[in-house]
Amino acid sequence: MTYSQPRTDAAQGRLEFLSVTKRYGPTVALSEFTHDFAPGRVHALMGKNGSGKSTLIKLLAGVTEPTSGTISVNGRDQTFTSPHDAFDAGIVTVHQELSLVPELSVGENIFLGRLPHVRRAGLRVVDWKGLHRRATELLSDMGLSIDSRQPVSALSVGQQQVVEIVKAMSFNPSILLLDEPTSALASKEVKQLFALIERLRVRGVTMIYITHRMSELFEIADTCTVIRDGHYIGAVEMRATSPSEIVGMMFGDAARTTRPPRQTIDRVKPLLEVRGLTRAGHFNDVSFDLYRGEILGIAGLLGSGRTELMRAIFGADRTDAGTVHFAGRSMTGATPSQMRAAGLGYTPENRKEVGLVQSLPTADNLCMASLGPIARNGLISRRREQPHIDRQIADLHIKCGDPELPVSSLSGGNQQKVVIGKWLNTAPSVMFFDEPSRGVDVQAKRQIFDIIWQKASDGLASIFVSTELEEVLEVADRILVMHHGNVVAEVDPTRTDLTQLYGLCMEGASQ
Amino acid sequence: MTLVSQTIETREQNLPLRFLKTYPMEIILAGLVLFLILMAPGFASTAHILNVLRTVAMLGIIAFGMTAVIISGEIDLSVGAGVALAGCIVAWFTDAYTDAIGGWNAVILGFAVALTVGFSLGYLTGRFRQWFNVPTFITTLALFAALRGVANLITGGFPLSTFPAGFDFLGGGYLFGIPFPVYIFALTFAAMHFLMKYTSFGREVYAVGGNMEAARLSGIDIWKVKALTLGLTGALTAISGTLIASQIGAGTGTTATGMELDVIAAVIIGGTSLFGGKGRIWGTLIGVLFLGCISNGMTLMNVSEYWQYVVRGGIILGAVLLNQVLERVR
Repeated sequence: MTYSQPRTDAAQGRLEFLSVTKRYGPTVALSEFTHDFAPGRVHALMGKNGSGKSTLIKLLAGVTEPTSGTISVNGRDQTFTSPHDAFDAGIVTVHQELSLVPELSVGENIFLGRLPHVRRAGLRVVDWKGLHRRATELLSDMGLSIDSRQPVSALSVGQQQVVEIVKAMSFNPSILLLDEPTSALASKEVKQLFALIERLRVRGVTMIYITHRMSELFEIADTCTVIRDGHYIGAVEMRATSPSEIVGMMFGDAARTTRPPRQTIDRVKPLLEVRGLTRAGHFNDVSFDLYRGEILGIAGLLGSGRTELMRAIFGADRTDAGTVHFAGRSMTGATPSQMRAAGLGYTPENRKEVGLVQSLPTADNLCMASLGPIARNGLISRRREQPHIDRQIADLHIKCGDPELPVSSLSGGNQQKVVIGKWLNTAPSVMFFDEPSRGVDVQAKRQIFDIIWQKASDGLASIFVSTELEEVLEVADRILVMHHGNVVAEVDPTRTDLTQLYGLCMEGASQ
Repeated sequence: MTLVSQTIETREQNLPLRFLKTYPMEIILAGLVLFLILMAPGFASTAHILNVLRTVAMLGIIAFGMTAVIISGEIDLSVGAGVALAGCIVAWFTDAYTDAIGGWNAVILGFAVALTVGFSLGYLTGRFRQWFNVPTFITTLALFAALRGVANLITGGFPLSTFPAGFDFLGGGYLFGIPFPVYIFALTFAAMHFLMKYTSFGREVYAVGGNMEAARLSGIDIWKVKALTLGLTGALTAISGTLIASQIGAGTGTTATGMELDVIAAVIIGGTSLFGGKGRIWGTLIGVLFLGCISNGMTLMNVSEYWQYVVRGGIILGAVLLNQVLERVR
């Protein structure tokens, strides 16, 4: 890549999709998507999880190829077989996860992989002076006063995000993709980022901006394109729309699905009492009670602190303040093994990474949390474990063929059931379900919800977390809404609709 | 044993091929033994084979513990130095206390101290990883250097060889015609095999090595598991060190130089993954026997010592490659 060959001129930056379809096996991630992204504008792209947003981004970044249909950039049809192709067509993506090397200087990061060279005494060496001069030019050009020689690790997350965009802009793209650039930023840093985006808009760069924060759309975007279940739903001018119209487009007529009738919960003596629990930088002053037989939903966007809260209560992470009482006993600062012994279970959100030991058989995973009770005097054998293995496989309808094969051979839904089965084997009285439906097909999802409802009717108290707000509304008896680490509302799912809940999750208590 | 699952997986394939894939090292070992019986002068006698077993016993006792350590996702580089230290401790106590409490009592006292020191060093290595996030590779590398120094400090740099009559039986004697260390070797094998397969502790070792975070979130005390496997290996090292001191009739700081590499090599040849979570005590038994036969066979066939090193290196690499390839075809 050569440095700084200007590709942009006023006429560029047009991006057209013509009936673009992407299939992954039988799954259609994007279906006949047709839309014309007008040049020089900031286009927000909205859609709930699994709507096809990230597929669209992957297609544009050259990470994956469309099954059919054409993408054309600046009037020319393009086939991206690699990220490099997308790059050459003038599309640069700034991903959600930062891709900077913390130990290297700002300037070096911007020109990583294409450091300028000079000849000194017949040797080709890095032109550090030139590099930092150019980097400083770029930074000041964007209205930033960041020292190009300081290491990236010395910058705040917001400044790093800005450097990431400066790096992207050093390629002179005509189209810039911003994938949730504000998700990790404080509000002051968001302002700085928006100033930069504004500057780029004035220059005529076409931007596609993905976010979950509704307020940002109205602040920064010109148009909003909505995608749902892989289909193009529509595009609206921000001047002429409202948050509720956009939410309506995102969710459609999300019909409430059937669930067993809610039971009356005896809310007298709480089983789990959390008071003022705080983990600095993750969640603050969280208090709630959980009762026998109750399913408490926690709604909140990614990064709202829901997962962190559950991990902390379970003892997987330390807390800075607050108390946890379980059945009247203080469990503040307990370890996961003490929590398990007390009767608490936790199915983590990323089952592949931390929920299961992939190299071990399904059978071993099912018994992993209950080795103590199954063993007699510390001795264990398959014969002893077999009833526990068979019971969960039968009760949870786990399709695993041979339970002696590694659990990695199972489908996502079945792996999730193994995680749940592992905990049900401990006969818990409280369960935390963190995203139990993520990456699970519809049928398995129904089965998992049925298990949760059935166990609740048997008296299990549980906390249910899902990014899919429809699911939280459907599954839970009561919902806490988290926003930026704070519990901002408690709602009754029978008296709340999706738009209200979504609004609470995005804007906190202000709406 | 995971053999069961492998057999089911390869059910459709023809018998010899399945056998080859399931027992690769067993077959190679059998081939090697056959080769040595035919080609190496003097290999095929009971007395000689018992001798080979005696030699590998010292190494094998530690290797079974090391297998657990490696399955749990850690490593111990200090076992060679630990052997020297244990021998020196036993010798020092015998030297110092024979007059006061009698020779055998002094040996037992020394052995108890060596066992405690071995276990504690291993256990603390594991806790160091927990408290200060120091990898066991580093801690045991430090111990590798330091323990040999301590061993020499204890003995003053000279072999200590005041032992009671009959002490040499432990390392050099025969019981019912079989060298005494072979019994300890067999006992350690049985105990470790049982521990890893039929106790909840053993299951936890596999879980911790396979996925530390998943094990922790399943309520397993991962640091205790790791510390105990390391402590266990430390204790086994002390046992082996005592047997070796008995065999050579002295405690010296220079015993068992480079032994840690042979121990780790045996574990790897036995199919245990250095990434943790996978491995079998049975495999290590095969690895230990294989290494013993190879080095003994080469000596019998007058292969020069330098070539022996080269061959050993090749075998370690070859065994790992074989396992990787088999992993793929299975």
